[in-house]
Amino acid sequence: MGGASADPGKARVRARRVRTVILYAALTLAAVVVLFPFFWMIVTALKMPGHAFDSEILPRPPTLDNFRRVFTEYGFMRYFLNSGIVSVSSGLFATLFAALAAYAFVFKEFRGRDKIFAAIIASMMVPGLMYVVPQFAIVKKLGWMNTYRAMIVPHLANAFGLFLLRQYMVTIPRSLVDAARIDGASDFQVFGHIVVPLTLPVIATLFLLTFQFHWSNFLWQLIVANRESLYTVPVGLAMFKQQHEQLYTLKMAASAISIIPISVIFVFAQKYFIEGVTRGAVKG
Amino acid sequence: MRYAAIALLSCLALSLACGGEQAGEGVTITVWETYNNEERAVFLSLVEEFQAANPGITVDPVNIPFDGLEPKVLTALATNTAPDIVRVDVGFLPKLAMRGAVHPLDEYASARVTGELRPVTLASCRIDGHLYGMPDQVNGLCLFYHKDLFAEAGLDPEDPPETWEEFVDCAKKITDADKGIFGFAMRNSLWWSLPFIYSFGGDILSEDNRQCALSEAGAVAGFQFKVDLYSKHRVEGGAWRAGGVRDDVGFQSRKYAMVFNGPWAVRGLQAAGIDFGVALIPAGPAGHATNVGGNNLAVLSTSMHPEAAYKFLEHIVSKESQARWANELGQIPVNTAADAMIDLDKHPYLGIFMEQMKYAVPRPQVGSYPEIENDTNPEMQAALDGKKTVQQAMDAACKKISVILEEEELLKESLK
Repeated sequence: MGGASADPGKARVRARRVRTVILYAALTLAAVVVLFPFFWMIVTALKMPGHAFDSEILPRPPTLDNFRRVFTEYGFMRYFLNSGIVSVSSGLFATLFAALAAYAFVFKEFRGRDKIFAAIIASMMVPGLMYVVPQFAIVKKLGWMNTYRAMIVPHLANAFGLFLLRQYMVTIPRSLVDAARIDGASDFQVFGHIVVPLTLPVIATLFLLTFQFHWSNFLWQLIVANRESLYTVPVGLAMFKQQHEQLYTLKMAASAISIIPISVIFVFAQKYFIEGVTRGAVKG
Repeated sequence: MRYAAIALLSCLALSLACGGEQAGEGVTITVWETYNNEERAVFLSLVEEFQAANPGITVDPVNIPFDGLEPKVLTALATNTAPDIVRVDVGFLPKLAMRGAVHPLDEYASARVTGELRPVTLASCRIDGHLYGMPDQVNGLCLFYHKDLFAEAGLDPEDPPETWEEFVDCAKKITDADKGIFGFAMRNSLWWSLPFIYSFGGDILSEDNRQCALSEAGAVAGFQFKVDLYSKHRVEGGAWRAGGVRDDVGFQSRKYAMVFNGPWAVRGLQAAGIDFGVALIPAGPAGHATNVGGNNLAVLSTSMHPEAAYKFLEHIVSKESQARWANELGQIPVNTAADAMIDLDKHPYLGIFMEQMKYAVPRPQVGSYPEIENDTNPEMQAALDGKKTVQQAMDAACKKISVILEEEELLKESLK
């Protein structure tokens, strides 16, 4: 009775199982490929200096000495503090300014608005390295050398951030904003109570992207800081590559720690981050 | 409210500006250096000594990552924010000097001081007849060999090869390709090939630095010998190939019995517990030879206190300072007067390194040395891969090099 009808059902279940197994196998393989460098970084960080290239996978015996030396013999405590100050404030301010500017470009009428926007977007075509020397000259003229200001301020105007936020804000229904205006809300109230909450995923994404950019920025922080007390983590990491030798075990120990803040923020903001990136992509 | 709190906190962070200006009287000499931690400790103690002896002068050393130094110096020069003294690779100094960025020291350096310097280090500071710096560190490649692998092949571990013929014999005895053990391993860049080229009587450029000499008989024979080690004698493990096991890595893991390396490698090999010996690079038709690497200390032309800066450099290269530098760090002193003060029991290899420096040939003092190296390397690679004969590869390299040299001449003219 049921034989004829049960077989296709079983076959379907089996087919689904096979598909699931293949999918999981592929995903596991991809995960291994992606995670292997991180695994290798941590394993190398646990090796004794001079044994970075030993062929055994797990160090015998593992040592935490590299982590100790990174903080005691090399000033990584200070470098992490500096990176934190620079990345958090750059991230916050760059995002705030981009959001305010995007608000103006979307909800305010002024002469030449779209042309100005186009000009700002066009500036993204200039490779960032072109700005290094002129920006450096300005920072120098302002007397900001060896200050946090020099490390933060030149990157607060972020054309990409403006673009990302504007493209998203354009999709907010005008009627919401108009309704608030009729109720007597000021620009800042509209911005704070309507636009920002609706744009939050993209704002969070932009903060993460700018935070990450500044956390890993090397060249600019290298040239504006002439004091080791102002060095950031990437500059500190570069210290391990010397003229003739690379201090691999120390470098890997410091690198392993340096990815912690980004990993933590990413885990907490994962929902926003992925949502934001795809929204930006679709609506852009 | 929450936004305001975050904004205020960030404002606070922004205003936490660290002042970089020095207060007080007297002269401050800023030094950008790229020392490692051990070198830096000795350097700082030399700075303290100098300051105690020269109350009016303060020395302010800033440690810069080696890789970041060139962009940082170039940016600083473009904006007049360069330090008084900078420690540069010997290959980078001519580039700076040619552009007028370095203060010549001829007027300050007495014959007594320069007379004591190791000749090869002095040569690396002299460009177009002027003294553009003081030597800081000098080294050159030597032959490092595995005593165990020598003994296993029935060779005397205390008797390393002295000529290239002996070297090939010895490498053949050790090589066991089935087990993945090779007598020799090498890198393939111009600098790492110089010991071959020099010991066969070749050179990179002609004496006056105006012609490429790589396509002449000596250089071709030297590089041919290098190619033969891999493809004819088959004693080289292919360490230079993309994906090959690097020479220094394979030396540590007992794959390669002999490699070129320099004084900087001693500490790591000792830490890894390798039983190794160091010998002179084997002699070729033109005798023993090696290349020169290292660093110089240059006073930049933007310095307001070149004389005080020079005074500090004189302290660094003094006999006493150099003896300390050598004894604490195991590096070759740049001052020959310090040679007698070295503790060779503590640094058993230092004697060989210093002996090898007698046969060291400085690189041509041209600003575009890095470009010459970059353009020559792929040609050498083609010869090693067997895609070109050595003569063809060297001819092609020389063609590129003559363009580079012409450009440099034009640049020099325009800078005059």
